[in-house]
This record gives sequence, structure tokens and C-alpha cells, in this order.
Amino acid sequence: MTRFYGLVQKELLVLFASPLAYIVLALVVLVAGLLFFDHLRAYNQILFLFQTSTMGGFESGTVPDHINLRETVFFPVMENLGFILIGLIPMVTMRVFAEERARGTDELLTTTRLTAAQIVAGKFLVTHAFVVLAMLASFVYPAMAILQGGVGMQHLVSVFAGLSLLAVSLSSIGLVCSAFTKSQFMAVVSSWAFCFVLWDWSWLTPFLRDAPALAAIVDGISIHPRYSVFAEGVVRVEDLVYFAGVVAVSYAAARFALDWRRVTG
Amino acid sequence: MGKRFRGDDVTTRTGSPGEGHEARDAHAEATPTGVRIEARGLCRRFGDHVALDGLDLSIKPGEAFGLLGANGAGKTTFIRLVTGVLLPSGGHLTVDGHSPASDPVEVRKRLGFVAETSRIYPDLRVRAFLRFAGRARDLSGPTLERRIEHAIGRFRLEDVADRWIGQLSKGYQQRVSLAQAFLDDPPLVIVDEPTSGLDPLQQEEVRAVLHELRGKHTLILCTHDLSEARELAERCAVLHKGRLVTEGPTATVLGGADPLALFRGEAPADPPPPSPPLEAVR
Repeated sequence: MTRFYGLVQKELLVLFASPLAYIVLALVVLVAGLLFFDHLRAYNQILFLFQTSTMGGFESGTVPDHINLRETVFFPVMENLGFILIGLIPMVTMRVFAEERARGTDELLTTTRLTAAQIVAGKFLVTHAFVVLAMLASFVYPAMAILQGGVGMQHLVSVFAGLSLLAVSLSSIGLVCSAFTKSQFMAVVSSWAFCFVLWDWSWLTPFLRDAPALAAIVDGISIHPRYSVFAEGVVRVEDLVYFAGVVAVSYAAARFALDWRRVTG
Repeated sequence: MGKRFRGDDVTTRTGSPGEGHEARDAHAEATPTGVRIEARGLCRRFGDHVALDGLDLSIKPGEAFGLLGANGAGKTTFIRLVTGVLLPSGGHLTVDGHSPASDPVEVRKRLGFVAETSRIYPDLRVRAFLRFAGRARDLSGPTLERRIEHAIGRFRLEDVADRWIGQLSKGYQQRVSLAQAFLDDPPLVIVDEPTSGLDPLQQEEVRAVLHELRGKHTLILCTHDLSEARELAERCAVLHKGRLVTEGPTATVLGGADPLALFRGEAPADPPPPSPPLEAVR
């Protein structure tokens, strides 16, 4: 336990010694804020139009039910924020393993008494904690929309859980990409590619009408539909299992990468 | 001559690695120093390239052993096999009876490793780095803090203990690297190219501290610097393209008219007597 604690502390120090951590934190908050205020501005304009004109066939002063804070601001913000995380999170994960290899410090790390399992677990833990912190910082505006829109605390918790699980899953994929290379550039580009490819396969299902089983599998591996369910305020066991599965598979793959390096050099 | 490091007032490594450090201090006089390393027919290939080709080598407890050879001779590959960072392609290797391939943590309990210059975390302060290195060796609480302070004093790091490692000169970085390797006074210390990239004064400082450690640890010195090997190693082996060219007392091996010929893989005309079998040493 002492070794693991030492590793976690070292990883935290290295992470926050880098300006990249602060830049990514600032970017996440900035992007979330810009998205929120842009949608809020659009929402206000729509409200103004409906309340001051008869356009759209509605009587002046009436607003249709689907024009509300939840549908017009909250959902699109969450949707866009989730997608933008694909761009931001690999910028944090790219250096975690790859930088150690590029600097040669991995040799120092692997000649301590830390096992490969502890090294991977420590790096995963610190990275996950960081992305959850980033989600917490970015969640201020969506939380305001939820509370102001009268959606309720239960929904708020569900949405934050979804956002955090998404961030943790994306970071796990990024860590695997980092574990297989010593080039941070390769790590970030491959992470973007994997996360983007896994994001949504629903576009493929129309082409798989003759193979419903395959269509179900393709639908099942997509991240976006699972994330959307949380955004609706619904927490399903199958979605929790899915995100836990992404983390577990990623952990195993990163562990394999470290063991494989003993074979390949 | 550069400044000397402070004397080694830590009790020589004692007891089994599994024991507490306090208990180890208590058994100081009872146990022999260092570990035994035995390689038989050790091979390592990287694809078609043969980095080590059937290496037979015995290193005795407490011995300062030099591993010599030109770049690409297989020195670093050998120490990576000893530390368990790499798996062998064939042959047999044990450290105190433990295989680095199948039981790397057991080997690393006995190991202090000093990598080439600057292979330490530039984003950490010296003290924080030593704290991490100590915890990674199961040190904690007051024992850890005492060992850190001792290492800082022993390697003359007081002036830079709270500075970022990345801001230090190469000489200081190498001292930090040595300090972390000796935090728990391990029986086996492997030093890879310890003076590479250092200026002459810094080289002298590092050699001075390694000189003090002779006889107290099994020291494997990986170098292509002949004067360094003459000064520090009691015995040495010369590798060329993964094969053992010669092995024996350093004075004998490097005492020939053209020791550099060994680096070119030319076997000595009058080879030193082979090392006794390990059973005889025991």
C-alpha cells in the first residue's frame, strides 16, 4: 500500500507540475461556459420571437412546450460537451505512459518494487480523478440550467454521473493508446481516432437491416447512446456495466502493453 | 580532484529484503553483503538482432563488477535482464536464486538502479522524488524521512533539496539518481554509464561515491570508460556483439598492450584464468 500511495502522490505531483493540466482544466470550463451561454442566448432569442410575434403560426405571447430550458439549453449543451471531451481528454492522457518512455523514466519506475498492475492502477486512478475534477468544474453551468429549469436534484446527479463516466471511459481509452507508444503525438492522435470511432455507430444500423444481430452489437458498443440515457436522467445497470467494462478492458490492455514491453524491449 | 561525498555512515545492508529496515539494522553484522548473480547461456534477441548470445557470467556477493564494451555490445541488455525489465530469449539467470523473469519484484527488493544521466523526473523537486523512491521501496513514516535526510546529506544535496530536478546540472541529477538508489541501502546496485555526459569534476565526484561503496554492495558498473573500470571494478567482463570476449580481474583484463582490441572483439592472447565455478565460490 505504501508503494501505491507513493506512486499516486508522484503522479499527482507530475500531473500538476505540467501546465497542460491547467490548460485542459481551463479549456473544459471555458468551452462548457461558451456552449452554455451560446445556447442560453439562442433560447432567449427564441423566447423573444415567440412572445413578440405571430410567426410560426402561434398566437402572440404563447410559447410551445418544446421550447424550454431543458430541451433548448441543457440537452444540446450536454451533447456538445460530451463530443468536445473527445478532443480534450486525450490531451491529458497522451503523456501519462508515453512521456515516461520518451524520457526513459519508465526504466526507473519499473525497477522499483511496484508491480505492473500497481503502476497501471496508479496512473488510471490519478487520471480518472483529474477528469472527474474537470467535469465537476465544467458542470457548474449545466447544473444551473437543470436547477433553474426545475429538473431536480436526482436528474442532476444522473447527468453528472453520465458525464463523469463518459470522461473516465474516454480517458481509459486514451491511457491505453499512451501505453502502447512513446510518442505523445501518436498517443493523442490514436486516442482521438479510437474515441471518435467508438462514439456512435448508429449511422451503420440502416445498412445492417439484414443482420439484426450484428446491428445490435454495433449499437451496443457505441458510447453516445449510453451517455444520452444518463442525460435523460435515467441510470440503467446495463449502462453502468458498459462503462465499467470499457475501463476494465482498457486497464487490461494497458497492463498487457507493459508486459509486452518486457518481450519486445 | 572533485569534492568527496560524505562518508557512508549507514549500516551496511543486512538481513533479507522482506524484513523491516529497523530489523535489518539490528542484524548488521550477521549477514553477508551483496547478492550473487549467475547467468548461464543467457540469450536475448530483438527480432533478427542478437543482443546477447549465450552469455555465461558469475558475479559474487559484495563484488564490484565492471561490464565493458562498445556501444551495442549488450551491456544495457544484460542489466535490463537482471532488473527484469526485459525477458530473456533463452538461457538461465538468477539473482540470489530468484529469476528476474518470473519473480521480478523479489529481485527488485534487492536492487538499487542508477540509470543514465537525466533519466529521472524533471517535474519533481528533489525531496519529493526521494520520497516517491522511498515509498516505492516500502519505506514510510519517520524511517523514510530519516533515510531521505541521510541521503541528502550523504550525496551533498542540501542546497538543491527543494529545487526542481529539471533545473539541476547533470552532475546534481546524477547525485539525485544515486541518492534514490541507496535510500534503503540495497545489496545490489546497478549503475549504467554513471559518468556519461558529465564534466571531469562531476565524473570525479560520482566515481568517488562509487568507490566508497565497493565491498558493501554487489556493484555492477556498466561503462565503456576504461579508466572508470580500472578505478572502480575488481573484476570485469568485456562484451562484443552480445558475446563474452573475456572475463577476470580488471588489472589482468585491461592490463594488456591494447585493451581496446577487446572492444573490437579480439580475444586476448593470454586470457585471464576463468572464474571458479559458482559452487566453489559458495
